[in-house]
Amino acid sequence: MHSYVRPNQYVAFRLPSDATKILKVVPDTMIFLGKYGTFPANQIIGRPFYLTFEVFDDASENNGHNLRLITAAELHAETLIADGEGDGDEPDANGESLPMRTNREIVDDGSAQKLTLAEIEALKKESTGSGREIIAKILESHSALDQKTAFSLAKYTLRKRKKYMKRFTVVPMDVSLLTNYMLQDKDAARIMELRDELIGLLGCWANVHHAGNSSLDGAVASKPRGRYLVIDETGGLVVAAMAERMGILYPHDGEDDQEQQGSDDVPSTEDGQGEQQQAASRHPRHAHMSAPDNSIVLLHANKQPNMSLLKYFGYDQDNPSETHPLYAHLKTVSWLQLLEPQEDTIYAQEPEHLTSDEIAALKSSKRSTYYRKRARWERTQAVVNEARAGGFDGLVVATLMKPISVLKNTVPLLSGSAPVAVYSPVIEPLTEVMDLYSTARKTAYITKRNQLGLQRQEQEKTADTTGIDSQDPFYPELAEEFYVNPTLLLAPTLETARVRSWQVLPGRTHPMMSGRGGAEGYIFHASRVLPTQQTIQAAGNPSRKRRKMDTSATPADSSTGADVEMNS
Amino acid sequence: MPSPFLTPGDQAPLDSLALLHLRRDQTVPTILRAHDDEGLGYNEGKVVNTRFGSFPHSTLYHKPWGSQIVASKVDTGSRGRRNLKRKAPTADNDADSTPTPTTAVNEDAAEDETPAIQQEQQQQQQQKPKAAVAASSGFLHLLYPTPELWTASLPHRTQVVYTPDYSYILHRLCVRPGSSVIEAGAGSGSFTHAAVRAVFNGYPSDQQQQPESAQQPPKKRKYGKVHSFEFHAQRASKVREEITQHGLDGLVEVTHRDVYEDGFLLNRDTASTEGASESASSTSPKANAVFLDLPAPWLALRHLTRECRQQETGTATGGIQSALDPTTPVYICTFSPCLEQSERTISAMRQLGWLQIEMVEVNHRRIEVKREKYGLEFEGARGAVVFPRTVDEAVAKTRTIEERTRRFREAMKERDARGDEQSLGEAMREGVEEGVEDGKAGAGGAGEEDGEENVPSYKQGRLIHRTEPDLKTHTSWLVFAVLPRDWTEADEQRCREKWPAHKVIEEVKPKGKKQLKREERERKEKEKQ
Repeated sequence: MHSYVRPNQYVAFRLPSDATKILKVVPDTMIFLGKYGTFPANQIIGRPFYLTFEVFDDASENNGHNLRLITAAELHAETLIADGEGDGDEPDANGESLPMRTNREIVDDGSAQKLTLAEIEALKKESTGSGREIIAKILESHSALDQKTAFSLAKYTLRKRKKYMKRFTVVPMDVSLLTNYMLQDKDAARIMELRDELIGLLGCWANVHHAGNSSLDGAVASKPRGRYLVIDETGGLVVAAMAERMGILYPHDGEDDQEQQGSDDVPSTEDGQGEQQQAASRHPRHAHMSAPDNSIVLLHANKQPNMSLLKYFGYDQDNPSETHPLYAHLKTVSWLQLLEPQEDTIYAQEPEHLTSDEIAALKSSKRSTYYRKRARWERTQAVVNEARAGGFDGLVVATLMKPISVLKNTVPLLSGSAPVAVYSPVIEPLTEVMDLYSTARKTAYITKRNQLGLQRQEQEKTADTTGIDSQDPFYPELAEEFYVNPTLLLAPTLETARVRSWQVLPGRTHPMMSGRGGAEGYIFHASRVLPTQQTIQAAGNPSRKRRKMDTSATPADSSTGADVEMNS
Repeated sequence: MPSPFLTPGDQAPLDSLALLHLRRDQTVPTILRAHDDEGLGYNEGKVVNTRFGSFPHSTLYHKPWGSQIVASKVDTGSRGRRNLKRKAPTADNDADSTPTPTTAVNEDAAEDETPAIQQEQQQQQQQKPKAAVAASSGFLHLLYPTPELWTASLPHRTQVVYTPDYSYILHRLCVRPGSSVIEAGAGSGSFTHAAVRAVFNGYPSDQQQQPESAQQPPKKRKYGKVHSFEFHAQRASKVREEITQHGLDGLVEVTHRDVYEDGFLLNRDTASTEGASESASSTSPKANAVFLDLPAPWLALRHLTRECRQQETGTATGGIQSALDPTTPVYICTFSPCLEQSERTISAMRQLGWLQIEMVEVNHRRIEVKREKYGLEFEGARGAVVFPRTVDEAVAKTRTIEERTRRFREAMKERDARGDEQSLGEAMREGVEEGVEDGKAGAGGAGEEDGEENVPSYKQGRLIHRTEPDLKTHTSWLVFAVLPRDWTEADEQRCREKWPAHKVIEEVKPKGKKQLKREERERKEKEKQ
């Protein structure tokens, strides 16, 4: 939990202009918020989040402190007054007795404000306070203030406040904040225009959650739990979101108020087996990429994954901190390593194994190189073999590649009933996926497979034909006609969600006037299933209306929704 | 018992919840049993009957999750229904009927074609259900429950919080493994299941089994927990029953309570064994996040403050503690269908010091993707739109018809000239046939590039998508807010001592990225000049 600002942590500063600034809070340094002020970092370290401070550039004006805490009551009082509420000037009170103020007399050329730009600049230079006087001056100098309606006055004050108030709110760094920051303040394309609500949906549909403490209730843990396969081309945002759900994103998660340090150091060996003894510690000590449970395998298209956004959560991908939970729980595998491991040099070429005598004879620098190379090879072997063995509990995809090509190679790696969730900023790649897993295609696939099975049986009458029921025989013709095996995914569904925010004020509730356009964003989800190889027919009636028409059962997948009728 | 929601394992265990997936949005939840616990008297033990066939539980349990299960031949006939009738005493008008279902099984078997053998078997089956025989058609898929699938299949008691809403709410409420969540208005339990997945970080009973690692004082590990409050007694007990069935005991605590009056503190006797403060008669759930699905959230808000004294001490729980976690910010979401409710809630929140108040709605739609067969050549195909695809096709078609008509007229004229009554039919046929040939040529010419004839039917037509016909255009208004930690003058003083306010090492003056870039640009421009 984020309870207070820790030293050397990234935190977000929400500014009066609604912009967000993310900075690392280094002790004994200054924090620069541009025109909104400058203050020493030590004045916010240790303080709780979500507090709003007013900045005084000259500390002597505020008991020797640059920051003044603004209470919630003060904040709300200001908002309510600024919004023309609370002081008896309720909008509906204007109804009968008082003449309704309108904007009829307002001149739209900006001549009403008597202060010139130069004068305002001079004011800003003079004042060291938090901007309050400037706003008061500006309002004072407005010649037509009394002609404004309560609403327009409120809006005017608010606008000036956003421009001149020197204050900020400290907000903890989390996935939601980072998403909005990237969307609004940074380059939305870098995170594939992934929105908050879609991240939530993605994680839910992929059923990503903490795996529990399997070493403790080991009786049921017949296999490692909570292993998720992630394809993330958003620079690490999706990995961060999933890690957040799995409780492995924040280095200080679950710690109390007092700082606890040095408890999570990592043994130097590459042996990840010893976790039984260390189960009591918060993050069992594991070597790099060696956690068996509650882990993410990230498949990446280039030689190195791009996880640059993880730096905001204290994880530097080039030089990962050993105490960070992702150090052990995030495993990276390239597509080449997954599909053609023998062509990957690191995986395939085992460094020469030296005896202890030989090692002792090496120079110390060479010795450390030897250990490093050995460890890297062992790690790569373990991680790649684990990924290739499959049995994952969920698949999360946000890729720039064709999603169907990703599914073709990853769906077989999932365990039965494991969910698949794919994000795409635009719909076309996902309609293609839906089409390739359509009911009509499933039916055709099953029919063709049965035909081929019969043919093969006839061809090799002498051979043992019972094998066909037990395992999936490979038919090249089938693979040629069908890019993916459509029977592996159940209930493919495509959906989208969008959040719309509203302004809520008495008598003035309405949706926000503007928002962000861009990609709509879609989620495809389905469940991995283990189809039987028996020849089976769908039963039942696709829908009540067609009960009379549909007398002959067709070999269909009845489970995928309303379009069974497409078969005939 | 581990929960199938959180740690399903590889295969479906006995006596735990499994979902039988028939088709999308049609899932039957069932507790897998080795014996016929409901006494419905099937030969195969407990049986689930669906419109896609009958599935004895013996074909389901111990199967890998995700398996496709073939239906079995089960004599559903009159058996199941008649036994149900027999259970009700008023319906007992059958002359042969006997009061217990077990004898009913024998009796039904006696009606079979080979009564003697069957009866013998039946006697054995009292102990051991008959092996299931695969049916020729019908199947389903065996899935482990997830909050999403459960939400789609749960028995509705109240309005359900659906996946698009709860996924966003939990994300915004920062509900993470180890969090403590208050949920008021358990309702149908959909949010409860999603929330417990989000907070889960181990079964609390693990603590007792903890191995010998006492060399260092074990770090106090906080287990995630959902505190669910429901004022409707029947619903509360139903939710409690479900929680037990789903193996979530200890992770979810259901309290039957009117939270408007009595707040959110837990009665000690119902509270779990976690360390309770000795003096108080009740313990605090120490919530990090609050979800209020209540008709009047503003009435509950007064029990969700930092100050301990502000609570009315006269109430049954005599609350002197805050229900919130004192060390973290507390996030709240209220879920109200009407705007007026949200407005009142927000006004109450402003008075109680909640910050960053925001109201949103979530618009969600599902999209259906299909192939639309569209063109003249699909005449007779089901679900196809027989209409020209292009203007060229339309012109070609009309031209054909014009041509046909012209020929027909010519034929008529000819006939009139000849005065031959007999050849009318012939002439007509001639003209029309020629026209049909022409028409085919025209349509074929336009559709040539598609070559639809050789394409399998699943590839025919154009791939299109549209929003599914049933649309939820409004679920509820979501009001979010956050309540920061209390921060006293003393806390501030302590912090000032630890972090000297004006200690600044000047040389490590950090520059913003933009500033650095700007400087870089300026430098380069200077170089150019």
